Amino acid sequence: MSLIEIDNLSVTFRAKGREVRAVEAVSLTVAARESYGLVGESGSGKSTILRAICGLAPISGGSIRIGGVPVATPRGRAFAARVQMVFQDPYASLHPRHTIDRTLSEPLAIHGLSGSDARVVKALEDVGLPAAFRFRFPHQLSGGQRQRVAIARALMLEPEILLLDEPTSALDASVQAEVLNLLDRLRDERGLTFLMVSHDLAVIDHMTDRVLVMQNGRAVEELTRAALAGARMTTDYARSLFDASADRMLDPAKEAP
Amino acid sequence: MSPLLEVQNLRVTFDTETGPVEAVRGVSFSLGRERLGIVGESGSGKTMTGRAVLRLIRPPGRVEADRMVFDGQDLIAASEREMRALRGQRIGMVMQDPKYSLNPVMNVGAQLTEGLRLRDGFGRADARAKAIAALEAVQIRDPERVMEAYPHELSGGMGQRVMIAMMLIPEPDLLIADEPTSALDVTVQAEVLSILDALVRDRGMGLIFISHDLRLVARFCDRVLVMYKGRVVEEVEAKNLLAARHPYTQGLLNCLPRIGGSRAPLPGLDRTGAWTQEGTP
Amino acid sequence: MTALRAWLTDPSPSSRRQARLGQLWLAWLRIRRNSLAMAGLAIVSILVLVAAFAPLIAPHDPLVQDLSRRLLPPGTPGNWLGTDDFGRDILSRIIHGARITLYIIGLVALTAPVLGLLIGTVAGYFGGWVDAVLMRLTDIFLAFPRLILALALVAVLGPGIENAVLAIALTAWPPYARVARAETLTVRNSDYIAAVRLQGAGSARIIAGHIVPMCLSSVIIRVTLDMAGVILIAAGLGFLGLGVQPPLPEWGLMISSGRKFLFEQWWVATMPGLAIFIVSLGFNLLGDGLRDVLDPRSAPK
Repeated sequence: MSLIEIDNLSVTFRAKGREVRAVEAVSLTVAARESYGLVGESGSGKSTILRAICGLAPISGGSIRIGGVPVATPRGRAFAARVQMVFQDPYASLHPRHTIDRTLSEPLAIHGLSGSDARVVKALEDVGLPAAFRFRFPHQLSGGQRQRVAIARALMLEPEILLLDEPTSALDASVQAEVLNLLDRLRDERGLTFLMVSHDLAVIDHMTDRVLVMQNGRAVEELTRAALAGARMTTDYARSLFDASADRMLDPAKEAP
Repeated sequence: MSPLLEVQNLRVTFDTETGPVEAVRGVSFSLGRERLGIVGESGSGKTMTGRAVLRLIRPPGRVEADRMVFDGQDLIAASEREMRALRGQRIGMVMQDPKYSLNPVMNVGAQLTEGLRLRDGFGRADARAKAIAALEAVQIRDPERVMEAYPHELSGGMGQRVMIAMMLIPEPDLLIADEPTSALDVTVQAEVLSILDALVRDRGMGLIFISHDLRLVARFCDRVLVMYKGRVVEEVEAKNLLAARHPYTQGLLNCLPRIGGSRAPLPGLDRTGAWTQEGTP
Repeated sequence: MTALRAWLTDPSPSSRRQARLGQLWLAWLRIRRNSLAMAGLAIVSILVLVAAFAPLIAPHDPLVQDLSRRLLPPGTPGNWLGTDDFGRDILSRIIHGARITLYIIGLVALTAPVLGLLIGTVAGYFGGWVDAVLMRLTDIFLAFPRLILALALVAVLGPGIENAVLAIALTAWPPYARVARAETLTVRNSDYIAAVRLQGAGSARIIAGHIVPMCLSSVIIRVTLDMAGVILIAAGLGFLGLGVQPPLPEWGLMISSGRKFLFEQWWVATMPGLAIFIVSLGFNLLGDGLRDVLDPRSAPK
């Protein structure tokens, strides 16, 4: 049975009397311990799907099931303990006036878990940050370090599912590599299921087993890793995305303009 | 032919409470009517280098150079008034995010024609015709509509094209583009790049293309400067980039994931090599 | 001392308490570098000290009348700031008046901003009809001139120091609610609030633990800047006979009673006026300094 089942999901925002259909009738399933990617350009609705799963975007049609059970509204603590999210911008996702310690111990306090001192130290260690960072503020950390803290926070409640919303797009290439490696290692150690959003096909390909290409809120094409590597896409849009991917630019087979 | 821009030992220093911080430490390059890429990670000083050429560094920042000459004119000795005459007219600059570079309360037409009418004394109709021609040059399909639009009504790609059009109206000899496509989607990015490319070729402009994306720069430029912590660590012909020898350049290339590549951990960037110490005071 | 300083400035503290004290110490170092803020802090501290030790400092009893020594000019031996129309020593009255001023300021500072923060953050966080109702309520309070509203409230409640404080607090909260709501609106859709909501936190926890800290610095700054106005309103109520009742040495009341002799015996009204001016200035300077200190992002890296 699939861990995440999204069936015919639609998300419609209403702003100033205008309706914006951010996601229209998208279905996907992710098995336990599988990694699934959503790729597309801005406005394709890929991030909105993640936000809809978390209850941060209004669902106007379809259903979301986690472990076979429809998600409750509001999501509640049981959901929080199973599903967590890492946001795109590490500069905006950490509370600027809370120390790292406070940020990491907050989920424990919410869920009434004890031993927060030891757990915070352990969590920092797990994401490769020195314990000395514990009482620093986010502004004292670099982008990559902040994203590590955000990952540590998402893992504090030991969830099964991690939703990753462009976790490395705000980072330098070398830092991106470090963060991707970290995510990779944590996935292996903890048996996590990833649902990852990115605009970068190469990153998605590196991290996930299957990819859904999205455009204007609709699913365009689902590709397995092999199909992507072999450039066996059937839709024009997926191909144009593939061709425009920065990764292809140094392909010796391809003539520079 | 003498180079369009020649920079020798450029230094940008910021005086902070804790002492001077050098953002650019001794960068030298020369540029003809070609496409020069400057690549580096955040904090490498690539943006500061671009701004320093236009002397757009605000205090407490200081710009110093042994030599910084644009088309025979000394940029270090130039007065602020002379610099103003150069900026926009002969050296254009395109920034990363058009949202912050366009005036939100003026429509595009007014912003495009303002300079033409005030500075060059064009009449209303002539200025408008020239602005529309510029918008057409950046492949905007319905320039009449875009002329009436306000910046918030434009998409990111459209806004960036308007910015480029605006910079191109005075027909500068040199265009400095600081991450002009980073805020754009990949397919739009390709279009904007080909527009820039055509303009460089057709008008014989010099271009400094600043980016964090090594692959993009390699494909798009003739020559690439790789910067690290305010220094140029390597200068290579773009077509030889894959054969770059410097460990930093190689590290930057290798740490990127590749479609269909191995699932093994990505090689990190080794920041402990002897080259990181090279020449540091 | 050096050991304590090393403990406070330890870049990697070992406990939460040490980290918190270290933060306070750094804030203190930052405010110490700002000379205007230090001047403000000095004035406010002097006010607190004077109020605390008023009976010890004051040369005379502020209430004892001596009609043979009425309206003496400043500089008179024994009455350095002169005496009022009942022969009471103005210096002693100002010193004792510091207690009343501080009492009013303290109570208002404890009530109005808290109420304003609560209403503003709740309105901003929930939005919708909650926001509409609370903000229209705020608008109603804002629409009345503060002094008139305070007058009406005191008229209903009856004159007296507590009722004056209550009236001032009830008229002072709307600006704080506005500030807090504006701040909340910019914060509530940010990723870090989404993140804590995702962790299962309830609204009360999000507002108190995550939104209020973001509003706090602008509200605290606003409070210190408003303190001058609070002193003046209290003085105004006193002046109109609706606040502190004679013979208590409230500064506004003293100005009011000096009004009758403003042209011949100027010092009776001027001396307490100067006291109000200096204390207001102190709070304003302190408020400006706090603006710089309360933002952790302004900390030197």
